[in-house]
Amino acid sequence: MSTFLDARALPADTVLEPDLAIIGGGPAGITLALSLAGAKLKVLLLESGGTSFDPRVQHLYAGEESGYVALDVGRLRTLGGGTNHWGGWCRPMDEIDFEAKPWLPYSGWPFTRKVLEPYYPRSQQLVEAGPWIYDQKGAAENAAKGSVLPLGQGGLYTSWFQFSKMRGDVLPTQFGKRYEADLKRAPNVTPLMQANITAIRLSPDARQVERLEGTTLDGNGGAGKRFTVKPRFVVLAAGGMENARLLLASNDVMKTGVGNQNDLVGRFFADNPVPRDVATLVSFAGPLAPFYGSTQTLDDGAIMRATFAPTAAFCRQNQVLGSLSTVEQPVDLDETGKAAVITTALALGVDASNAKAYSLGCGIELAPDPDRRLVLTGDKDALGLPRLKLNMRIADDDFTRYRRTLMELGRQLLASHTGMLRIEKKNRGDWLKEWGHHHLGTTRMHADPKQGVVDADGLVHGIANLYVAGSSVFPSYSASNPTLNLVALTLRLGDHLKKAMT
Amino acid sequence: MRRRDVAAAVVAAGAAATAGLYRFTDLFVKHYAPTPYDDLLARLTDREEAAKLGAKVPGPFDLTTQTARLRAGFKGRDLATAVNADLAAGHMVEVAGWVLPETVVLLSALAAKV
Repeated sequence: MSTFLDARALPADTVLEPDLAIIGGGPAGITLALSLAGAKLKVLLLESGGTSFDPRVQHLYAGEESGYVALDVGRLRTLGGGTNHWGGWCRPMDEIDFEAKPWLPYSGWPFTRKVLEPYYPRSQQLVEAGPWIYDQKGAAENAAKGSVLPLGQGGLYTSWFQFSKMRGDVLPTQFGKRYEADLKRAPNVTPLMQANITAIRLSPDARQVERLEGTTLDGNGGAGKRFTVKPRFVVLAAGGMENARLLLASNDVMKTGVGNQNDLVGRFFADNPVPRDVATLVSFAGPLAPFYGSTQTLDDGAIMRATFAPTAAFCRQNQVLGSLSTVEQPVDLDETGKAAVITTALALGVDASNAKAYSLGCGIELAPDPDRRLVLTGDKDALGLPRLKLNMRIADDDFTRYRRTLMELGRQLLASHTGMLRIEKKNRGDWLKEWGHHHLGTTRMHADPKQGVVDADGLVHGIANLYVAGSSVFPSYSASNPTLNLVALTLRLGDHLKKAMT
Repeated sequence: MRRRDVAAAVVAAGAAATAGLYRFTDLFVKHYAPTPYDDLLARLTDREEAAKLGAKVPGPFDLTTQTARLRAGFKGRDLATAVNADLAAGHMVEVAGWVLPETVVLLSALAAKV
């Protein structure tokens, strides 16, 4: 078993020549390295941080934003990346998430969900979310704990999350810690810690990557030891913000930045807003089954929680995007609420004497927007790399669409005589307080170079040996949490590289 | 007077008093002044709660138009049937955030208005 190398211990001006350099040791980078373990390729995994948090390294993420959270919040520059603080929520993207929707500009993936399906089982293993249950068997597997809310015919149904394995009060699977030993065991994989890549240098004809420039942080927080990587192939897997930053900042040959010949790098940034208390759901019959309000552990170890999702037919017919509404906690009704419940239940001929009310939270999919954008600023970090500015904006349509979904849930609850719904959020500002910290879309995937930074394989258009991995390639976003899906997509890239590189 | 007659008289007086209290006070049930819309309001089991909800219905409520609309909507059907028809047709209205069938909203607004 090898140990991790530390770039600070390399001799000055070291030149490393792996077959493949992976920039970033988060879930995508680690997944790719693991998928290539044992292949006849020398793989160098470059991680900016170490195995534990270092605020000086984390500060390299700092930037400017408008209408969002600070850019060094919500991501972690440590081996394992965002999985060091994720909540473990897993749900595969739906078929409709991949569809180009005629009513939604820029939507659609260059392939269907079927292309990813072979990779979900392994992805499920890597995130340690137990056996594959989700919507196929969620209701049946949880039947002993209660019944799903009968919603009858309509636009929403009870869907299911699964969760990455918990270890007592320890957070779910942290890729850096969980797969440290596996990375060390892989004879062809060399993880290099404290290795910051500050530039991607192209050949003069801008057709391929010639080398990567790397730097360590010295003891004073400035640029330390410099090194060079000359790989045959490169995969950029540094996260939804840093992928764009490094491409934009590497602008010596391509003046607008690597892969940015069509001014797309950094555009289409997205996240999932996750506002709480979006609605109050009343169950006429009394308490909901426990799997709605909290995670439930099944005998086979699977951890599950129910959520309300719109059907594909409802999304198409009503031009709404994905959303996942979860039951949060019991709440008391005010006088108007009590009057609404009594009057409506009596009108329906339903007994609501044991009615119970709950608040709902949600995760919402945003529409792709080219002007929701990351750009470089004149300010530079300790290693000389320009910092980012995020121009965040959300269209009113994004909230209008989700309100349509809530209206349908309210109608459906009444039509099935099971309950009713109150929509709580009134003002635009109410919706924009909490985020999923899912950084999506900044190097979007599209077969047409004028519409995407990378092609369907993740290869940067026009560059023969540079790929991008992770959720930055998602061209449209889904309401499902990205980790399970980006891991599956990265496993597919691993298969592609095995063929492309040998 | 025989004891049985006295008892019967007491029971009769009690019944009459109870009926009087029921009919002429709000002790047992709320009484409302007659209105031209009692055929509609009678469909509400709890008019007081409906009025509380109806007070939150935004905008003006034109009695002539809206009661005509309600009567046309019932078409001889009972309230539950009319409400279920609203739900099937997607005739929903938001009141104070509550997603409600249109018929319930109109009846509640009427209860608040008269």
